[in-house]
Amino acid sequence: MAIHKLEVLVENEPGVLARVAGLFARRTYNIDSLVVSPTENSKISKMIIEVSVEGHSLEQVIAQLDKLINVIRIEEVLEGAISNSKHDTQPDYQN
Amino acid sequence: MAHVPTANGTAMTGATSLVKSLEASGVDVMFGIPGGAILPAYDPIYDSTIRHILVRHEQGAGHAATGYAQVTGRAGVCIATSGPGATNLVTPLADAAMDSVPMVAITGQVPSLAIGTDAFQEADIRGITMPFTKHNFLVTDPDQIPRVIAEAFHIATSGRPGPVLVDIAKDALQKQTTYDWPTSINLAGYKPQTQPNQGAINDAAALIAQSAKPIFYVGGGVIKANAARELLELAQLLGAPVVTTLMARGAFPDSHPLHLGMPGMHGTVAAVTGLQKADLLITLGARFDDRVTGKLSTFAQNAKVIHADIDPAEIGKNRYADVAVIGDLRETIKALIPALTATLAKGRADISPWLASVNKLKATYPLGYDTPADGALSPQYVIERLGKICGPDTIFAAGVGQHQMWASQFISYEKPRTWLNSGGAGTMGYAVPAAMGAKVGAPDTTVWAIDGDGCFQMTNQELVTCALNNIPIKVAIINNESLGMVRQWQTLFYDSRYSNTSLDSKRVPNFPLLAEAMGCVGLSCENPADVDATIEKAMAINDQPVVVDFRVHRDAMVWPMVAAGTSNDEIMIARATAPDWDSQEL
Repeated sequence: MAIHKLEVLVENEPGVLARVAGLFARRTYNIDSLVVSPTENSKISKMIIEVSVEGHSLEQVIAQLDKLINVIRIEEVLEGAISNSKHDTQPDYQN
Repeated sequence: MAHVPTANGTAMTGATSLVKSLEASGVDVMFGIPGGAILPAYDPIYDSTIRHILVRHEQGAGHAATGYAQVTGRAGVCIATSGPGATNLVTPLADAAMDSVPMVAITGQVPSLAIGTDAFQEADIRGITMPFTKHNFLVTDPDQIPRVIAEAFHIATSGRPGPVLVDIAKDALQKQTTYDWPTSINLAGYKPQTQPNQGAINDAAALIAQSAKPIFYVGGGVIKANAARELLELAQLLGAPVVTTLMARGAFPDSHPLHLGMPGMHGTVAAVTGLQKADLLITLGARFDDRVTGKLSTFAQNAKVIHADIDPAEIGKNRYADVAVIGDLRETIKALIPALTATLAKGRADISPWLASVNKLKATYPLGYDTPADGALSPQYVIERLGKICGPDTIFAAGVGQHQMWASQFISYEKPRTWLNSGGAGTMGYAVPAAMGAKVGAPDTTVWAIDGDGCFQMTNQELVTCALNNIPIKVAIINNESLGMVRQWQTLFYDSRYSNTSLDSKRVPNFPLLAEAMGCVGLSCENPADVDATIEKAMAINDQPVVVDFRVHRDAMVWPMVAAGTSNDEIMIARATAPDWDSQEL
């Protein structure tokens, strides 16, 4: 089963970790690891989430995560490099 | 009294800032109950231009806000105190989330220094409601109140609508602040895409033109997007059949020849089979809910899917989309019409055999019901007569269960926002308070709640609110003295062992007397010959709420039916009776 690493920029507000963790729990996505760290911008934090996708598509995990208002940007970390564009859930119509 | 904007920089309490912010958001009515933590807000409410309707239970406030929102398209507002006041809003918030209802709920919270100490009437309502609010806020700084309220209304009403909760600590309401209404809203993580991608529109048009068996699978999003007129134009342009889900009843006229009715567990044979046999689902604001698809792996197996929705997370959630169109549905359909016109002009598949076969199904398997031999009253007959006598301008709000399905099936809906129900959450007790909110939002329209005797006993206290506040709704209790839908499942799947589904509501309570006690007119009807006269009598009363106890026979069942977890191909039109597939060509 594939493990995907997501870099998620979130607003540094109380409860944001609970929002992300709660979303993964209620939609039965598995978190393999989670690291939260500050960024140079004190209003924004960075989460590195490793998610093992089983029975769900990565696109669906990202789309649901993206619906959280406090989530600003989601990027998949690919083999040591970070893909440049923000993930988009609309197949074939990247914008 | 017209709202006079308050100048930024004016000094006031947080409570006054809250009320000024609600006024600035265009709120004209809210439903609520005061209590300790929210009490500071109720002092400026006393002077506000906003009409506050004092309900009898916070759940009633929440569903009333939903009913108001569903008929007006504007955000419904409810307000409650901390702890149990707030937790009583949990069900309406969950309900609003499932049905994408724009709602703003304001709750008081214990003083900020007491948060986390298990203080009197403390509940972590922000934590509790995280899973089923679109977003929620906890405000402890009074300076943040205008910005948070502005953001709450923006989030609730834009993109895919949904409920937003704003929890405000009591001391933030009490402290002095300066009012500062924001001139713009900038949420870094929230920018819903409203304009559809033209490439996707063109691909959709190409797929539609190639399809020999297309069908419009229309969901509640069409009503939310105010796109009914555009849908009618698009459907007539293509000439393909249309189904409207439980949340979309009224999005397309029931009387239209292209309409096959409602799909799903209790859908028509034509609608269910039309989806099953189609080669293309043109999905507009629908979400492939399990009550529509039946066993997902067997749903519309030969169909390609165009999925248009404002919420990107719906794409591919339950069913792969061959073409996805993200955007406001009205914009999407408006873009699709010229694109499809151009594509069809270059040639198209012949859909006339398809149309003939679904029309044959529609003619062969119309909705119907058996009249009991002993002359007892049929629930379906009562509901059918309500629809006929009251007409297509009437708003109907249903509870949840058999009566809800019959109200969806046997009333002809011609216009959007005339059919309200709890589709996703299936909240028993929704009807009376939702009808109350609907009547407040549309005071010149007749509003009927069609409720079950079980549902009615969950939230009927709001009839007191209606009686005292000049909200003359009408309630038809479809009294089969049972939890009817559960009883139906017991009949079909539990060997007729009726464990705890008998309510004895023909003995207790006396519904007309209960109605009278709450300041309403109480009527009763048990004889089919009296139905019309009883409805007309109720229609003639406009200065008081009316409750009619329709005492119907208890063994009526909702048909057609696709049993939970089975394939839509297993649809039954009566007990142990499948359609005669051999005579159909699809």
